[in-house]
Amino acid sequence: MSLSEKDVFARLKENAFHVLGLRPSCTRMEVEREGQKLLAMLELGLSEAAHYDTPVGRMPRTAELVRASMATLRDPTTRLQHALWAQLPPGTPAAQVPAKEEPASWPEAPVRLGWRRPG
Amino acid sequence: MATPLYVGIDLGTTNSTAAAFDGEKLTLIRNAQGANLTPSVVRIDARGAVTVGDRARRLIDSDPQNTRSEFKRLMGTSQALEFAAAKLSKKPEELAAEVLKSLRKDVEQQLGVAPTCAVISVPALFELPQSAATSEAARLAGFSRVELIQEPVASALAAGWSANDEGSWLVYDLGGGTFDVSLLETRDGLLRVVGHDGDNFLGGRDFDQAIVDEVLAELLRTQGVDIRRADPRHATALRKLKRAVEEAKIELSRTDELPLLVPGAFETDNGPVDVDVVLTRARVEAACAPLVQRSINVCLRLLAAHGLEPSQLGKVVLVGGPTAMPFLRSQVQAALGAPFATDLDPMTLVAQGAALYAASSGLDGRPAASSAQPAPSGRKVWLQYPAMSSDLSPHVVGRLVEGDSGPKPALVRLVRADGGWSSPDSPLSAEGAFVLSVELVPRKPNTFRLEGMGADGKPVPLAPASFTIVQGLTLSDPPLSRSIGVALANNAVRVYFERGAPLPARRTFRQRTVEAVAKGSTGNVLRIPIVQGELEWAHLCRLVGALEIRGDQLKASLPADAEVELTLELDRGGRLSARALVPALGQVFEQVAQLQVPDATPESLQEGLTAARERLSMLRSSAFRRGAPGVVASLSQADQALAEIERDVEAARGGDADAGQKARRGLLDLDAQLEQAEAGLRWPELEETVREELAVASSWVAQFGSPAEQTLLDEAMKACERARAGRQQVELQRHLRSVRKLGNAAFYRHPSAWEWQFDSASSRVSEASDVSKAEELVQRGRRALEQQRREELRHVVEQLWRLLPEDAQERRLAHDSGVR
Repeated sequence: MSLSEKDVFARLKENAFHVLGLRPSCTRMEVEREGQKLLAMLELGLSEAAHYDTPVGRMPRTAELVRASMATLRDPTTRLQHALWAQLPPGTPAAQVPAKEEPASWPEAPVRLGWRRPG
Repeated sequence: MATPLYVGIDLGTTNSTAAAFDGEKLTLIRNAQGANLTPSVVRIDARGAVTVGDRARRLIDSDPQNTRSEFKRLMGTSQALEFAAAKLSKKPEELAAEVLKSLRKDVEQQLGVAPTCAVISVPALFELPQSAATSEAARLAGFSRVELIQEPVASALAAGWSANDEGSWLVYDLGGGTFDVSLLETRDGLLRVVGHDGDNFLGGRDFDQAIVDEVLAELLRTQGVDIRRADPRHATALRKLKRAVEEAKIELSRTDELPLLVPGAFETDNGPVDVDVVLTRARVEAACAPLVQRSINVCLRLLAAHGLEPSQLGKVVLVGGPTAMPFLRSQVQAALGAPFATDLDPMTLVAQGAALYAASSGLDGRPAASSAQPAPSGRKVWLQYPAMSSDLSPHVVGRLVEGDSGPKPALVRLVRADGGWSSPDSPLSAEGAFVLSVELVPRKPNTFRLEGMGADGKPVPLAPASFTIVQGLTLSDPPLSRSIGVALANNAVRVYFERGAPLPARRTFRQRTVEAVAKGSTGNVLRIPIVQGELEWAHLCRLVGALEIRGDQLKASLPADAEVELTLELDRGGRLSARALVPALGQVFEQVAQLQVPDATPESLQEGLTAARERLSMLRSSAFRRGAPGVVASLSQADQALAEIERDVEAARGGDADAGQKARRGLLDLDAQLEQAEAGLRWPELEETVREELAVASSWVAQFGSPAEQTLLDEAMKACERARAGRQQVELQRHLRSVRKLGNAAFYRHPSAWEWQFDSASSRVSEASDVSKAEELVQRGRRALEQQRREELRHVVEQLWRLLPEDAQERRLAHDSGVR
């Protein structure tokens, strides 16, 4: 799996809406109410709350993830980003194919993009 | 005591306060003198008897050797404070514990119960060691459980509790020793801390000091007497003068001028010198104006960081004694425009908020024996519910405790005690659990009965039989005030928690060792420095702790490039713990060393001061040469900061440990300021870099990115443009990192990406820490390349990167980090 696919995978699997089991159109109060319920269920070890569904499969749900998701959805900017990914149809990673025509090689690109210092 | 007891304590630099909340009303705790404020002053006499509060404060001038105040500013340092008569030395947290003990006693006297747990407030920008010391003080005072709350969050909670306004507002909290400002938002009863900022070393005390400096300058001008803070002979007289100034400052809020007379204040080589000056309101205001402006700048910086104009603020809540100054009020009002919330007591708001927070955390301070329900009988149920909630219909989740005997209910029901509401009968799940939504009466404690019924319809007693939810505010998880990460050997910072991350939080990353650690050797140490701050370079962030793995702790030698799984964890109050797992050895290390604010000796401070002065002078000439007026202007601010640090270093030489700490922080801030100025000189280069990198990333994302990545890149580019237009370097660099990440992801989808990386890494093979291994990798990479095995080529490149050396100079700057 390439780095980028990993990245897409991570965005989908830790999407705050998926973690909380909410739709992107939910209200702020619904975020609080659902988050509080899930935290309570996790604290009591209820199996119903132990996993959540994403377009890339079932994922284990933890209290940290629920808290982080609640914080993400309270902030309008980060909520927007997650709403964007929550709307992506399942199977998107497979669609990431390189363009057929390769652009010219650019040896300076890594340095320009800031990965390593010039050798 | 039938009602719950939620205790909140504002452990202040100058005064401390306690408040209690019973689920419905807030009560301020009075001390033995009948006052709400207890001076944070401790005296220990020759017999070892401890006096706290007002009685101790009265002796601070006449017996300074045995009376200590303002120790909050030394919390987390190793600085011990001497009590000459008792021949004792006490750590700052031990003195704070005495104040907490006294407040605990006051609660007991007023409410009849000595609380076992409490919430204690700390400044939002307290460093981690300072928070740890506060928890320790609570433990020493006899609290078995304590949570910390950031002061501005506490003020906000108290202000939000008594107001129904929605919108954005600012809490301006100027205490005796610290300044905090928080931007908050209330919507649908949910209180959210949008962000905060502050100055850990700006407080009322600095206002007093500014006036004292003004008086000393007049003595020099009129009588030719040069009184220096560095001279230990004057320490007592300076304290006396400061006290007189403090009182005069309060008087001057009512009158225009006031004589200040301290006969024979200073002993000099030429005999005693009187202080006899006339303080005018205008002079005091002029002396304090830069400090007020400094606080306003922090407010404006916070608003700008969140894209807000002062005009968008609904109100400003003032907290802290110094905010009573009319001059300060008018300046803050003029700069921010928003009205002040006038019905709140700035002196006790923090303690009240801490008590409310205790309720929202379910931290009932009653000792177990008195808080327990009358002899719990019935089938035991674990219940989870919010102790306080803004939601009118929160959930209550319960589960039967496994292994408990007694009849098992088939159905449960919740009934509100006022009889106005009851839930439908709910069958238990296969796990013996139920999830029910309840209805709350607004602004009241709502008690619910938990009723169980057997399959035969007969009642089944459950324990607990009832519980209470207070309808009020919901406080979202408090955000982290400064980013926390690990310093890497290349002087970069791996951020574990971004500023604003909700607490509690836990995160694990894999790091790799830079060099080998031999088994059995005590001198051979793998050091993992933990830093706090927003800047990209480790040396510009504050070192708050270090996890050290010594050779003599290892089961076997640890090779270079070994994997270390590092987990950092923060609790709700921002307390840090760290844990390193070395999978190759199956060993776990948890000892965080040096969780202490570094010492500030006058010698090390002087060294730092000299270096800063030289750097400032070089930067200034460079700015003039390049014709950069913006940078020259920013350097004049650095000049002021340097002058202030010089004064503090001088006072530190005179024995004032607190001033030493202030100077240490000041030097660190100055260093960051100079770094920014230097970056300002390189601003044209930065702009050019941004232009190039945006073009590069756009090109890659356009070719290989997904539509979602394209949208994110557009957002990041807009953010870059905003930061560029506002000349906000840190912001610009932050957004540039997002751009790089997106470009990076797209770049690696190019079929030749790893081939280019391989070419770059193999050209540096002679620098590798293990050349023969690196050469072997290069051969493997060439074969992989020929056979078009891209995945293997990638592994080879990643291994090669790990063999390439880190710069020794950078590593030293990165607090001697042993990981990358």
